[in-house]
Formats: sequence, C-alpha cells, structure tokens
Amino acid sequence: MTTLTLARYEQIARARGWSRFWTFVSLVLVLCFGVWSVYALNIPTERIAGMFGRIGNMVWHRLMPPDLVFAMQPKILASVLETVQMSVLGAFFGTCLAVPLAWFAAWNVTPNRSFLYPLARGIIVTARSVPTLMWAMLLVTFFGFGPFAGVLALINGTIGFAGKLMSEQVEAIDMKRVEAIRATGANEVDVFFYAVLPQVRANWMGTIIYNWDTQFRSSTILGFMGAGGLGLFLRQQIAVLEYPSAMGIVAIIVGLVLVSEALSHQLRKRLY
Amino acid sequence: MPASDQILLSNPLRDPRTIVRRYLAIAAGLLLISWMVKDVVIDEVDWKRLGGTAELLKTLSYFVPDWTFFPQIVRPLLETLLMAFWGTLLAVCLAMPVAFMAARNITPHRWVTYPIGRALIVLSRSTHEVIFALIYVAALGLGPLPGILALASRSLGFVAKTTAEAIENVNRGPIEAMEAAGASPLAVFLYAVMPQVMPAFAGNVIFSLEINLRRASILGLVGAGGIGYVFAEAMQSLQYDRVGTIVIGLIGLVVAGEFISNRVRARIL
Repeated sequence: MTTLTLARYEQIARARGWSRFWTFVSLVLVLCFGVWSVYALNIPTERIAGMFGRIGNMVWHRLMPPDLVFAMQPKILASVLETVQMSVLGAFFGTCLAVPLAWFAAWNVTPNRSFLYPLARGIIVTARSVPTLMWAMLLVTFFGFGPFAGVLALINGTIGFAGKLMSEQVEAIDMKRVEAIRATGANEVDVFFYAVLPQVRANWMGTIIYNWDTQFRSSTILGFMGAGGLGLFLRQQIAVLEYPSAMGIVAIIVGLVLVSEALSHQLRKRLY
Repeated sequence: MPASDQILLSNPLRDPRTIVRRYLAIAAGLLLISWMVKDVVIDEVDWKRLGGTAELLKTLSYFVPDWTFFPQIVRPLLETLLMAFWGTLLAVCLAMPVAFMAARNITPHRWVTYPIGRALIVLSRSTHEVIFALIYVAALGLGPLPGILALASRSLGFVAKTTAEAIENVNRGPIEAMEAAGASPLAVFLYAVMPQVMPAFAGNVIFSLEINLRRASILGLVGAGGIGYVFAEAMQSLQYDRVGTIVIGLIGLVVAGEFISNRVRARIL
C-alpha cells in the first residue's frame, strides 16, 4: 500500500483545481450559448411568464371536453381500420427490405465492403434523416393522395429505424461461428443463414415488433399530409377550429397507441 | 407437394401437428397481408393518374436541388438545431421530478405520486409531437417557442421513463446508509441515487437530443418554426427544386448530429 505523500496530495489537488476550472469555463460557455440562442430564435421573452396560463386556459376552455360522439362516426372508425392496415403493410414490406439492408450494412459480415456496404448505409441514413411525415408529403406528390403514399412513407420509416437497429445487432454477433461456417467452404448467403441469422433471430423479432409499434404511432398522424388514415380528420377539424372534436380524434389516437404498446409489450414478453 | 415440404413435415424431431400449425399460421398471415394490399393499395390508388415510370421520373426531375437557395436555409437549419437543444434541456429539467415520482423504490408515496408520474410518462410517450405542437401553436402563436415546448413534452416521457428504470436498478447500499444518517428524501435522491444513474442518464439525454433534432424538423409543418416551415412553404408553392435543397440540407444536419452524438456517447459510456 502506498502512502499519500504531501507532494502527491498537492498534485491531485492541483489537477482537481484545473478540472474544476474547465468545468466552470464550459458551464459559462454553455450559458452564453443559451442566452445567445434565445436571442437568435426570436423568442418573445415577455410572453414566457404568462405562457403556462395561456396553455392551461386553452386546454381547459377550448379543448375540453373531447367530443367522443363525433369521433365515433362510421367514417372515422373506417379510417382507424385503414390506419392499422397502413401500419401493418408498411412494417411488413419495410421489414422485408430492412433484412437484406441490415445484412449489407453490418461491417463485419457484409458480402461486399466497397459497394454494397456504403450503398446500404446510404439508404438507411437517408431514410432515417428525413422524418416519416416529410416522406409522406414528398411521396404524395409522386403517388397522389391516399394510403399508398402513407404505406411507402412507413416503409421508409421502417428502413431507417429497424434497418439501423438490426444492422447494429448483426455487428454485435460472435464472429467465431461465422468463421466456423466460412471454414466449411460456405458462401456469403450460407454464412448469413447459418451463422448470422440464428444469432440475431430473437433480437430481430423483438425489433420487428417494436418497429410495428413505432410505425403505428407515425401512421396515426400521416393523414395530416393527405397520406391516408385518421390524421386527415384531425387536420379537417383543426382547420375549421373545432377543437373539441379534434381532441376526440386525439383521444382515439392516444387510446390506439396505448393498445398497440400493450400488444407489442405482450408479444415481446412471450418471445423472450 | 414439393420435396422440401415433405422433408419438413417428416422432421422426426418435431411433432407433425406443430409443423402443420406453423404453416397454417404463415398462410393465414400472408392471406391477411394480401387482403390489406388489395384493400389499401390496389383499390385505393388511381393507377391511371399515376402514369408510368416515365411520369414518375419526370416528377423526380423537379426535385433536382437548386443550390442558390441553400444560403436561405442555413438559418432555419440552425433554428431547428437550437429548438432541439432547448426542447431537450427543458425535457430534462421536467423529467427529473417525474422520474423521481415514477421510480417505485424512491417515490415519496406509492398510491399518490407513483401513479401521477406513470400517467405523465404514458401521456407524453403516446401523444405525437405534431399534436402537442398544434395545441401549443393554437395557444401561443407561430414561432419556435411552441415547437420547443412540444419537443419538451414529447421527450419528457422517454427521459423520465429511462431514468426511472435506472433508478429502480440502483444499488440499495448508499441509499440505506444515507437514510440511516437521517438524510431527507431529496438529499438521498441527490447524493445516493443521482451519482449511480448519471452515466445511463447522460447517454439517454444525448440519444433524445438526436431524436429531437429529427422531430424538430417536422414541427414547422404546423407552424412551430424550424426547417419544416420552409419545407411546407416550398411544397405549397410547388417549388420542388427548393424542396430538394431542403431535404439534402436536412440529411446533412442529421448525419452530422448523429456522428457527434455517437462520438460523445462512446466517450461517456
């Protein structure tokens, strides 16, 4: 056991003093950045004080109570079905595309590092960087209003979300089994099916179910941009300032999301 | 019957009934999917108006970026980044007390504060950021302020949930030691719980900053500031070359943000 000499003690104290100094400097810098950004964002600082009162007033007097009778109309319930269909189709076909992309985009087992890897990475990053709602707006200009554009937007969302998670899971596998399969003279496809897939299957199933849950959440709002589903009625009601009936639709959305979350939680629990 | 099916059906390691049931489940699933494809895609799309591949390529050519527009989107992109920053900061401040209430082991009261904390988390996690933004824009007017509040309300649930889970998994030792010394619940939280959850907490905050950057970019579609506002304007005025520029600028921003966040998280964890 070493004794703490005075010199060593002074050294530690000095190091601690410097680290405190740098913490202080970075805090001051962050504070300056914060003050500058409030100015840069043009935030009306004089309104912040009364802000919560106004939000509360809005919520209690104009949004409440949610008009559930309006929200239970047959055409809205039909759009609920459409929303579910869109989310299932988007998650299903998106997963079909995300599986090969995840394989190509995993650095350790990708069949081709100079072409397929950057291509798959690029597709996943592009799909991920642009939010689903923006994809929906872009795709509506190509394919017209309706749920088809929404399904395509959800496919993009799935590639970005599930594709990234799944390729990260592939990158974390045990490489010894890959080497063992490769040593038997297997080609890349065999390596994928016999060394990669068995190792990631459980994680991938969990990700696929979680991804459906995520896509379902976005599908409830896609109609806002004309891409099919429940969101269209939300937009209509807000456009005519019928806030209570809009809140009825929001209540339906929240209820559906809770159901889907419980469902995906149960499915994932049974899986493991 | 194809040879492969025969082999699978006669797999001696499995009960044939299980195999048949599995095939039936897959068939039912595919049938359901094809019904949905017919219902949603084949019947709903106006195939005549859609035109052929040539027409789609023509639409795509409208989106070729117009780089002279780029200087005008630098400021909205920066605004998006700042909105994400402030939204996350606010969410962290609000999530602290919520996580304190929603962690089963340190919540002040099991039947009062615990359900409140849980309900806040569920509400925040199950409401889309656009819905929050709509409410705040209606109450506060256009601009980045409602956007920041929407981001904060939306990511509060994630930060509070992960923090509460981290708190539930802490080592009891330091907590008991402090309680034995007569420390108040707040002191226990600050000096026995926080140091233990700090690494996981920091990682989650950076992760939600990254998510909020992407969320912030769509809030402008409902008038809450940022790049989405410019995007919606360009879409509505059919200036698709500008839309192309915005999309590429956004991809650049998000990729840069993700790169930095990965670096920082790797250093913290």
